[in-house]
Amino acid sequence: MASAIEIRDLTKSYGDVRALDGVDLDVPEGSFFGLLGPNGAGKTTFINILVGLVRKTGGEASVFGYDVEDDYREARDRIGLAPQEFNVDRFFPIREVLEHKAGYHGIPHDEARERADEVLKRVGIYDKRDTRFDWLSGGMKRRFMLARALITDPDLLILDEPTAGVDVQLRHELWETIVDLNDSGTTILLTTHYIEEAERLCDEVAILDSGSVIEVASPEELMDRGTDDIVVQLRDPPTAVPDFAADDDRVEAVELDGTRLVVTAQQGGLVAPDVVQALDRQGHEIVDLEISRTSLEEVFVEMTRRGEGRATAEVDQ
Amino acid sequence: MSLTSLTSLDVTGFYALLRREVLRFVRRPRNTFVPPFITNVLYFSVFGVILGERIDEIAGVPYILFILPGLIVLGAVSNAFENASFSIFHGRWNRYIEEALTSPLSYSSMVGAYVLSSATRGVLVGALVALIGAFFTSVGVARPFYLVAFMLVITLLFAGLGVVGGLWADDFDDLTMMNQFILRPLVFFGGVFYSLNEIPETFQQASLLNPMVYMVNGVRYGFLGVTEVDPNLSLGVLTALTLGVVGLNVVLFRRGYGLTD
Repeated sequence: MASAIEIRDLTKSYGDVRALDGVDLDVPEGSFFGLLGPNGAGKTTFINILVGLVRKTGGEASVFGYDVEDDYREARDRIGLAPQEFNVDRFFPIREVLEHKAGYHGIPHDEARERADEVLKRVGIYDKRDTRFDWLSGGMKRRFMLARALITDPDLLILDEPTAGVDVQLRHELWETIVDLNDSGTTILLTTHYIEEAERLCDEVAILDSGSVIEVASPEELMDRGTDDIVVQLRDPPTAVPDFAADDDRVEAVELDGTRLVVTAQQGGLVAPDVVQALDRQGHEIVDLEISRTSLEEVFVEMTRRGEGRATAEVDQ
Repeated sequence: MSLTSLTSLDVTGFYALLRREVLRFVRRPRNTFVPPFITNVLYFSVFGVILGERIDEIAGVPYILFILPGLIVLGAVSNAFENASFSIFHGRWNRYIEEALTSPLSYSSMVGAYVLSSATRGVLVGALVALIGAFFTSVGVARPFYLVAFMLVITLLFAGLGVVGGLWADDFDDLTMMNQFILRPLVFFGGVFYSLNEIPETFQQASLLNPMVYMVNGVRYGFLGVTEVDPNLSLGVLTALTLGVVGLNVVLFRRGYGLTD
């Protein structure tokens, strides 16, 4: 599949600080791609290089085959950006702000006005069209950021923390809009602190830490790398802890607390039937069983913690 | 994207940014047109009428008529400069300039829109000052071509300088400083209120280093047909300077000076 974003050995330095350190990344066309990372990982720097707000120090970055510096006009025309920080023209009512933005992308005035009304209706703030941005509520401001990114009908929609600080209902509404766009062929690049958001929406995620991509995989693949808890409720307490780990190297730990047995294993769904059979053979009666899958958040925390460890070791050296 | 569609995009985009910039100052007359209106009514009343009656004619024209071109230049260049510097700096400060920067608009179109809109404000304020002057004295135009040419060149030049100022400024104090400590002294020592022939030889020579002298004399030539310096030479030098400054604006935008990290 062709790449919407193609990045090779991308670096950005601010003096001695290396914000991006040799990033390689491909975002497939039409995908819903997540960029995860702790604060200061380089996510916003990465996005700003794509749209021309930050100059790269080295490497290559292209959008739909257009270099973001040499062919900046072609690249920028294909991108719609909803940044994390509000950067909206406060002088004009929001409908006019949208008309201006569309105009900068070469859309004639009459069509720009039609499009402005269309996207304001789409995000549900059409009745506020004559209001200036400062007078919108926090949730409406987030909706407007999405509307402004959509006014140019972009092939690549970049959303930097699009649901930061919004309530649950609005978050779900925004998710619905974004998923519809992706279904209709728009490539989405999403950065978020809400891991649940990435888990729910993204086909693939890249984990960025200290300016480097440390992993690229689907949320399912990442979660498979974590451990699951198989929680078994027994009728009677066993006299000893069953030693499942001896027979199955996927099992990492077994804990017994009265009648509650917790088996920690990789690929818990596959291990659980073996656990049930073994307990049955040993004559234990199972009252209840539950598999608690590892979350993307736990995998994310674990991976970035390892990153911190690496960084500390490098400093120590 | 083909060259034709890029050109078409640029024309529409340029017009959109130009429109936005013009609407910004047109919709805020209390900030843009009322202050020069009040200031110039005061200037004409005090310097023209009250003091002017006690001052002899200069170069054969009444004092109030002599200062009129200078006041027009003062209003035009300070407003062209202020508009460009404020609009660029405010856009950077509140980051909404990113709406244009992240668009496919070429850097030369962006600069063109900022410079032309600011020059428009300068010309409008200049016309406003001329209208106010017409209430106090009879105003004629002796050399229309020179008047129009000088007004265009000086407002474009100061709009271009305003773009540089807006990109350079780090906070609002820098904007005030440029206006109060650089622009105004140049204007006041540029022969707005006095003739160069009236001051000692040393100061006359020093005044010739002030570009404002050539602008004031050029516009004065347009109105009154009298000048203390060659209008064609002034126009040539100012045009070259304007092209240089606007070219510098494009280079600064392309390099992201004050705009990108």
